[in-house]
Formats: sequence, C-alpha cells, structure tokens
Amino acid sequence: MGKEGRKGWLSRHWPRFLLIIPFALVAWVPAYNRVEPTLAGIPFFYWYQLAAILMGAVVVMSVHLLEKRIRRKGSGGPDDDPSGVAGDIL
Amino acid sequence: MSLNVVAASVFIGLFLFVTWVGFMAARWRKADLNVLHEWGLGGRRFGTVVTWFLLGGDLYTAYTFIAVPALIYGAGAMGFFAVPYTIMIYPILFLVFPRLWIVAREKGHVTAADYVRDRFGSRLLALAVALTGLVATMPYIALQLVGMEVVIGALGFPTEGFTGHLPLIIAFIILAAFTYTSGLRAPALIAVVKDMLIFITIFAAIVIIPAKLGGYGAIFDAVPKSKYLLAPPSGNSLGSYSAFITLALGSAMALFLYPHSMTGILSASSDNVIRRNAAALSAYSFVLGLIALLGYMAIAAGVENNPFHVDGFERYGASYAVPALFLDMFPDWFTGVAFAAVAIGALVPAAIMSIACANLFTRNLYKEYWRPNCSDAEEAQVAKIVSLVVKVGAVFFILAIPQAYAIQLQLLGGIWIIQLLPPILLGLFTKRFNAQALLLGWAVGTALGTYMAATRGFVSSIYPLEIFGVTVPGYAALYSVLVNFLVAAALSPVFDRLAGRAKSQER
Repeated sequence: MGKEGRKGWLSRHWPRFLLIIPFALVAWVPAYNRVEPTLAGIPFFYWYQLAAILMGAVVVMSVHLLEKRIRRKGSGGPDDDPSGVAGDIL
Repeated sequence: MSLNVVAASVFIGLFLFVTWVGFMAARWRKADLNVLHEWGLGGRRFGTVVTWFLLGGDLYTAYTFIAVPALIYGAGAMGFFAVPYTIMIYPILFLVFPRLWIVAREKGHVTAADYVRDRFGSRLLALAVALTGLVATMPYIALQLVGMEVVIGALGFPTEGFTGHLPLIIAFIILAAFTYTSGLRAPALIAVVKDMLIFITIFAAIVIIPAKLGGYGAIFDAVPKSKYLLAPPSGNSLGSYSAFITLALGSAMALFLYPHSMTGILSASSDNVIRRNAAALSAYSFVLGLIALLGYMAIAAGVENNPFHVDGFERYGASYAVPALFLDMFPDWFTGVAFAAVAIGALVPAAIMSIACANLFTRNLYKEYWRPNCSDAEEAQVAKIVSLVVKVGAVFFILAIPQAYAIQLQLLGGIWIIQLLPPILLGLFTKRFNAQALLLGWAVGTALGTYMAATRGFVSSIYPLEIFGVTVPGYAALYSVLVNFLVAAALSPVFDRLAGRAKSQER
C-alpha cells in the first residue's frame, strides 16, 4: 500500500475507529461492578451491560451508515450499493 | 415424574411442524442441490433478513439458553460474561468478515481451510485449519443434544434405558433426514420458526415471571449477596475481574472462527448483508442477557425447594433450573411452546454444524487427499453422507460417554479454535506472515492452551498466569493465542529468509 493508498483508506474508513467504543464500554470491569444506582430494582452491573449491548449496536450501525455515505459521495454517481434489491434484503 | 400431556402435545406438534418446514426447504429458492455450494451454503443467496435469522439461530444455541442461566443460577455474576462477549463479537464481525466473504465469493471457497490453502499455498496449514475445525465442532454438536435432553426429561418422558433415549434418537433421525435432503436451506427456514418461538417465550418470561415474584427488586433481594457482583481482587491476584473480561474477549475472538459461524457468514448474499447484521444481531444479545437473568428468577422462585423437581436437579444439575422455572410459572400449553423453542433451538445449530463439518471434510480432506478430480455431484454426495455420519457420532457420543466429557471437550474446543485466528485474520490484512511460521505458531498455541487447561484438570479454562508476582487469572484461549501470534510474527522473517536462500541456491 503506497502513501496515497493509505491516505485514501483513512478518508474512506475513518469511521471504523469508532468500533473501539463497544470494547471500551465493557473493558474496565471495576467501573461497572457495583450495585448502585439500581434501575427498577436491577443492580447497575446488570442493567449497564444490557444497555451497553444497545449502545454497541448503535455504534456499529453508525459506522456502517457513515461508510456508506462516504462511498456514495466518492463514487459521485447514484448509489452503487445494491441494497434495496430484493435479494439483498430477504 | 409423570408425562405432562398438554405440554408434550404442544411440543410434539411444533416439532412435527418444523420437520415439515425442513423438508419443504428443499424447494425454497430451488436450485441444483447436487452442487456443494448450493447444498452446503444455500447458494450464497441469503439476504439480510434470512441471514439474521440463520446466524441468530446458529450462534445463540439451545446449549447457550440452558447453560448461561444455569451458570448465573449456580455461580452468579461471573455467568454474565456472556453479555460483554456478545457485545465484542459484532465490531469483529464488521471489520473482518465482509472481507473474507468477498475473497471466498470470488474464489469459490466454501470453508476457512479453502481460504487458507489458497492464500498461503500450504496444504499442511490448511489441514491444520480443517482438523481443528472438525475436532472443535464435534463436541459442540453433542452439547446441543444436552439442551434437548433436559427439556425432553422435563416434559416427563421416561428417561431410563433405551426407551429413555428414544425421543432424542427420533429427533436426530428427523434432523439428519432433512439436512440430507435440503442442506443449509433447512436450518435457515427453521431458524425463522425457532427465533420467533424464543422471542415469544422470553418476552412472556420477563413479563409474567417478575410479576408473579413481586418485581425485579424482589428477585434480586432473593439472590445471595455473594452472587450479586464479581468478587473484587484481593491480595496479589486480579481474581475474577481479569477472568471475567478475558473470558468475554477470548470467546468473542473465537466465535466466528468456528466452522458453523463461517458457514452462516459465507451463505450471505453480499458483504453489506454481513455489515448490516453486525448491528442487527445485537437484538439476540439483548435477549441472551434477559435469558441469563432467568437464572436469578429460578433462585427467587425457589425451584430447588419444590419436591416435584428433585429428580430433575439430581439428573441434570443446574441445567434444570430454567426448565423447572418454566414448569412452575407457565400454563402447561405455554411450557410446551417454551420447551419446543429450546429443542428446535438445538436442531438449527446442530444442522448447521454438521453441514459445516461435512463441507470441511469433503473439501479439505476427501477432495484434497483422496479424490482431487472428483465431480461436483460426487463432492456434494460425500458431504451429504458425512453430515449423517457426524450426527450419528454426536448421538453415540452423548449416549455412550459421560456428559462431563462433552462439556470438557467443548471447553477445549474453544481453546483450539481460537488458534486459527492468526492464519485467518492476518492473511486478510497483511502479506508479511509465512505459512510455516503460522503453522508452528498454531502448534505451540494449541499445545500451550491444552496444557493450561490440563493444569486445571480440564474443568476450568481459567489459568492463573503469574506476571511479576501478580496473579492474573485469565482465559487460557486468550493467553495461548497471544503466544501463537508472537511465534508466528517472530519466525515469519526467519522462514522467509530461509526460503529465499533455498531458492537462490536452486538457480
């Protein structure tokens, strides 16, 4: 990969660095190994991790959508992404 | 225990329904099933929705649904490692596997070993990948039977002698038959039924059961305080903190290296299907988190004190906690639905795993070493037969050998499968690694991981690593794959240079 290629990669795929967030959310165990604050009687340890699943999903979805937008801009033309084609959805 | 007629009828009815679905699947998106990638990968035509059901049914298995709450029931907070584990798998899926899908599609790869063979040009490395996949998956198939056995027992079917094994054997004959005729199309369609049953069951469970037990506050109040949280580090050991997070990370890194995950991923119709699913599959993680809490609900409901369940706990241990909870909390007909969800939840992954094993055996052993020139039809035929053999093996395994061995082998399987990370992952992102170095790394990692598990008597995969006088208990798979990677990285330039010298001498 040349210098040009690496720069091109970064401008197309910078959203991927966001994927560190789901790991960061759960990496430091002492931060969430606690009872308070409870949510509807559920200790923090449990509801925080359940919430982290949803946050992780939002991050991955965002990365996908951001990259798709960058791709569309880059190609200039109409969407070259085949999503929406029946075979791609079902 | 006497037979619960209502629950058993609903259970059998649903089972017959999915049997019908399994056989009908052969006609779905009709194609020539005498070609391996049609039979064994569904023609790579599954879109976002079907892939979502298929991978969901594939990765969140019946064994998970029984074992995770059983772990919470028995060991408390540590069992919740399954949650960070399922959080970490999706960034990995997003980053790595669309790329592998593109290469596999272009070159017609059906298995991970196909890819490694082509990428590194090493038959030996491909053989190592294929054998590791086969050995790690076999006990996993056997464990799916355990989940099924528990619910069949809980329905009150006789469990003694040959008649006791009969329901399980019948279930597996049905499974084997529709996998043979329909290939991957069968579990893909059945997964839709299975996942819907699971979702219905779990949402009913998290509404009905806490209402009966007086809310989540009351449930957690009933749990012994010692189980509530992870024990904080004491003295010179990081204790359960490092065990918890390394178990999650190591399991996450290993998951998509399993042949059945690979089969599910490669059957997708595009790389974007995989990316979308990397976000959408989290819905199952959430459900798994809720299922884990069923373990505490079982404690709060006092299932163990119910004399009706004494037999079940004696026979199945903590695995009986959730079935017992359902029996106590749900009306009979709905217990039938819930148990059917678990049993069908065993069929789907068992089918995909046996297909994955069949693909591996046919492509990477049979065609590679016995019949390099075999026709497409012969290849597909061999795969179909192997899928039968694998299932017979799994039934035999579970009936003839103590269950504890299956669990220990599955634990070892996780340690073995993660050793494929360097060859599969590094091959996709860099050209710097040498096949011989990767092979040596694989051998060292496998041996070391097995040794670490052996020091714990094969009952735990947590190895107490000593670093500068501090004990860091952690998942043996993660430690050993690190060493695997270091060996491969250190030896790659050495082997490259040796190969270069040999070449220049030839001239």
